[in-house]
Amino acid sequence: MVNILWLQGGACSGNTMSFLSAQEPTVVELVTDFGINILYHPSLALEIGEQVSDLLHDILRGSVQLDIFVYEGSVIQGPNGNGSMNNFAERPMQDWVRELSNVAGYVVAIGDCATWGGIPAVPPNPTESTGMQWHKEKKGGFLGEGFISKAGMPVINIPGCPAHPDWISQILVAISTGRIGDVLIDDLHRPKTFFTDFVQTGCTNAISFSKKIDGGFGKRGGCLFYEVGCRGPMTRASCNRILWNRQSSKTRANHPCLGCTEPGFPHHDLKKGSIFKTMKYLGFMPRELPNGASRLGYFTLTATTKALGIAQTDPDTSK
Amino acid sequence: MANVLWLQGGACSGNTMSFLNAEEPTVVELVTDFGINILWHPSIGLELGDQVSTLLNDILKGKIQMDILVYEGSIVQGPKGSGTMNYFAERPMQDWVRELSQVAGFVVAIGDCATWGGIPAVPPNPSESTGMQFHKNKKGGFLGAGFVSKGGLPVINIPGCPAHPDWVTQILVAISTGRIKDVLVDEYHRPKTFFTDFVQTGCPNAISFAQKVDGGFGKRGGCLFYEVGCRGPMTRASCNRILWNRQASKTRANHPCLGCTEPGFPHHDLVKGSVFKTMKYLGFLPQNVPTGVSRMGYYTRAGVEKVMGTVERVLGVEQEHFETSK
Amino acid sequence: MSTIKELNISPVGRVEGDLDVKVYMENGVVTRAHTQAAMFRGFEKIMEGKDPQSGLIVTPRICGICGGSHLYCASSALDTAWKTKLSPNALLLRAIGQATETIQSIPRWFYAIFATDLANKKFANKPLYAEVVKRFAAYVGTSFQKGVTASGRPVEVYALFGGQWPHSSYMIPGGVMCAPTLKDITRAHAIMNFFRNDWLEPVWLGCSIERYLRIKSWDDLMAWVDENESQRNSDLGLFIRASLEFGLDKFGQGVGKFLAYGTYLHKDLYNTPTVEGRNKALISSSGFFDGKNWSEFDHLKIKEHVKHSWYADVPAEHPWKEPFPTPVQSQHLADSDFNGKYSWAKAPRYDGFSAEAGPLSRVIMNANPNNLNHQIQDPLFGDIITKLGPNVFTRTLARVHEAPRLYEFINQWLSQIDLDGEFYIKPEERDGMGFGATEAARGALAHWIEIKNGVIKNYQVMAPTTWNVGPNDEQGKSGPIEAALTGIEIEDPHDPVEVGMVARSFDSCLVCTVHAHDGKTGEQLAKFKL
Repeated sequence: MVNILWLQGGACSGNTMSFLSAQEPTVVELVTDFGINILYHPSLALEIGEQVSDLLHDILRGSVQLDIFVYEGSVIQGPNGNGSMNNFAERPMQDWVRELSNVAGYVVAIGDCATWGGIPAVPPNPTESTGMQWHKEKKGGFLGEGFISKAGMPVINIPGCPAHPDWISQILVAISTGRIGDVLIDDLHRPKTFFTDFVQTGCTNAISFSKKIDGGFGKRGGCLFYEVGCRGPMTRASCNRILWNRQSSKTRANHPCLGCTEPGFPHHDLKKGSIFKTMKYLGFMPRELPNGASRLGYFTLTATTKALGIAQTDPDTSK
Repeated sequence: MANVLWLQGGACSGNTMSFLNAEEPTVVELVTDFGINILWHPSIGLELGDQVSTLLNDILKGKIQMDILVYEGSIVQGPKGSGTMNYFAERPMQDWVRELSQVAGFVVAIGDCATWGGIPAVPPNPSESTGMQFHKNKKGGFLGAGFVSKGGLPVINIPGCPAHPDWVTQILVAISTGRIKDVLVDEYHRPKTFFTDFVQTGCPNAISFAQKVDGGFGKRGGCLFYEVGCRGPMTRASCNRILWNRQASKTRANHPCLGCTEPGFPHHDLVKGSVFKTMKYLGFLPQNVPTGVSRMGYYTRAGVEKVMGTVERVLGVEQEHFETSK
Repeated sequence: MSTIKELNISPVGRVEGDLDVKVYMENGVVTRAHTQAAMFRGFEKIMEGKDPQSGLIVTPRICGICGGSHLYCASSALDTAWKTKLSPNALLLRAIGQATETIQSIPRWFYAIFATDLANKKFANKPLYAEVVKRFAAYVGTSFQKGVTASGRPVEVYALFGGQWPHSSYMIPGGVMCAPTLKDITRAHAIMNFFRNDWLEPVWLGCSIERYLRIKSWDDLMAWVDENESQRNSDLGLFIRASLEFGLDKFGQGVGKFLAYGTYLHKDLYNTPTVEGRNKALISSSGFFDGKNWSEFDHLKIKEHVKHSWYADVPAEHPWKEPFPTPVQSQHLADSDFNGKYSWAKAPRYDGFSAEAGPLSRVIMNANPNNLNHQIQDPLFGDIITKLGPNVFTRTLARVHEAPRLYEFINQWLSQIDLDGEFYIKPEERDGMGFGATEAARGALAHWIEIKNGVIKNYQVMAPTTWNVGPNDEQGKSGPIEAALTGIEIEDPHDPVEVGMVARSFDSCLVCTVHAHDGKTGEQLAKFKL
């Protein structure tokens, strides 16, 4: 039996909605078949109010064991660092988060707001929002760079706006089935099993990408990287491997990837010309290139290496 | 209400099994909600013996309207063209097929055996098998190149070994929701909505393909085209767009595409060195290159392409077009 | 002996932020109530000076539950500002997105959020209580898992066209991003069909959609319930019988004025989007109903008040003229001064009136006898509002009443998509003012935008919850939930479930429980589930 506490700070509930769409297992199956005991969740639990603050105090005192603390939404520190823009159970939420993180076995940040601050942290950041262990691309965030939970892991980041239900439920199952040892995390603390592939991995337009064929809105086929700002080649997530809502993905529906699993989303802080447009370098070359490709190399590499027998790059994989 | 008759000739029932996996809609929903009336099916029909031949004769006499004839399996013509290697309801199946095809609104061949002959037609073709309107990649087959059904279409080919359940069910839904005019067929009579994409479309290894990174059995990642004979780049099918069994596909599971939706499967007729090995040209160049690409061009293009493409765009040169279909 | 109690109820539950309620009671009857939105998020401020299309990405993320509705507004606001052209396909695919999100929300909201209230011990002495608990109890109720799981299906259709739900941005000025294929359309039909077979007809209605849609009056509805066992015992049949038995039709009246912006722009009537042309192009009509008469909706009659909100004082203004709000220091509920500022929500007013937004408002507009031929003409709630008035029951009935009709619409719109037609017409970007609106699952939602020098100068979002949960206005008039709480009789002050049910009937997002404290001693009076 694994005890989970789920709290929401500066959140839209989108990760919860996504989680409720989970299948294999469903949320109900997680509870009934996988030994997940949800101590509290704002949209699923029957207890709240006094029962919740009692519960939180019991956890802090150690009379209830907290195995996994899941946090959704940004940590709101405004105004002036006092956190009163987001009160919960009679205290600023940030005070609860700090204390609960210290007693939890594992701390899981879910969604972009909790991982890196997300949209709320876009300048001028009116709520003084930040992520649990990151602030945008910079390590640190609310809990600080050095934070390690009781079980010896930093904050496990499950980014995405929202996170895919599988990214959540499979990690919970991994912990509850004793496979936490197989959960490797990358330098951004994301579980590698989901965040090694790029969104481009399995994208139906990947061939158009390599042939440099443009796509566009309202058209069928073609790659969205060159003109409408798709970030699929530089965004790590399994969207095109496991699909969304069992059916599709943004890029499969001709929607440019927004890069929402990488810190910095929304990229370029929404500045003029950055939305659904590819930011250009020298007027015509994409300014941002696929991960692992140097700008010059990107234009000259590929075909000859194979024929000449030049040593190949190893494909990036993870268990 | 569309009346469907489903018969099996030289078949393994794999297409039927695949069909029974269908979701959205399930087979039951097709019947109860989409007005599909299955007159008979060898696995799920209730009638037997005389009742079946009575039904078939009623169809031939015009007493029962047959809107769609679905045929699964090869047409067994052996021995010596008599077709007696495959009797059904007291006649060679080929005779039923020929006559029923003449009275059907639409004729649908499902699976490789029915479309192009499939494995049964591999030399020496002991059962003298052929497909409904193709024999391997040659048009003709059992019904002949000129065959057109009463509804005005040639045999609609839904290849695959087996065919994906959606390739059948969605076409049936299209018919029942009045969208038959949206069903376009390609040169091999395949519905374009499923057979315009390549198996490579949506393959997780497509980038490894472009970067020429090899994959291999028991490994994670890398492209299977260069060494273990994957035919994903030259095989049209939506396997990596809509997935199989809601979960995966061959290439997603690191299994080379066998090219089973293209006429000619099993390719190279199982000749030595053709199974799970990439046939090489000059010892190191793949003998089969992606569809639409010349062999020389293939090796010289990719790298300079972007530079050229950009220059072309700046100069206003018309860009390469690519195929799409509704 | 007259006893006055002040109850601090914190939290009541998330309603676009956390909702707290202050209640003053006299002899068990609420004499005054104040609603407090307890979180500030500042999304509008973030968009100032940013790319004009920022709203397409940012606003769906205001609410993970109604993100598609925000997208519908954001794209429409840009359409009117940029004077785009929209193809019939684009209008159909946007309407399908809006409708699938709303129909998804019906079972998810009913089972996960509303119906568990019916299992409250307050009703334990009622004859139907045992059956209600068996059916609707959280997790273990026989319909609970079925309904929650079924709710995921319609948004699979959304994903076919938008890539994913929640948080897609597929609706863009000039149309939609996608260009679906035959297999997407046929699959969408089949997914919806599954939803009907799996839940809508057998579990929810107990009859065919066609049968249900023949109901035109309150008497018809009562006759439908009693027509046969299947309908009596369906989840809808049980809900109606239990509501009447439990007295849910007896409290939570509210302000008695209703506002709907309407939604589902007709494929052939909004190809040149304008603010002025919007009302006539709607399939689900807009309007204002004052309790007796319908009048045409005009967005220029809306003003937002901040006198009692935690923002620097500015005169009440139309959203196009409002500045971005400047937050001021907030207080805990217990320390709040209800004569001063006490909520993060603003107080919107229509023509000076506090008005209720939501499904009930929407179906009242559907009963407007002046609706055009292409608009929904459904007299049922015109009759119900006359006979029963607004209350917890009618509000909830309005919500679930829409499911069969939406099912029919989605199928109809899917069949109208022309696969050879256009999906996107690239617009010319320009400066200007825009207005986009829709009906989210829980009511009227609108965005106002002003673009200047190629960036956002002003962006204002007004959510249905803002209408319902807003505080007093400049004249001291209550917001709809404040009004609906006033006058309710709290049977047991140690378990004031009535407060929760009223707030819940306005379609709050999530399941919550509240606790109450004596305002003077701080002693805990009760815990209760909302």
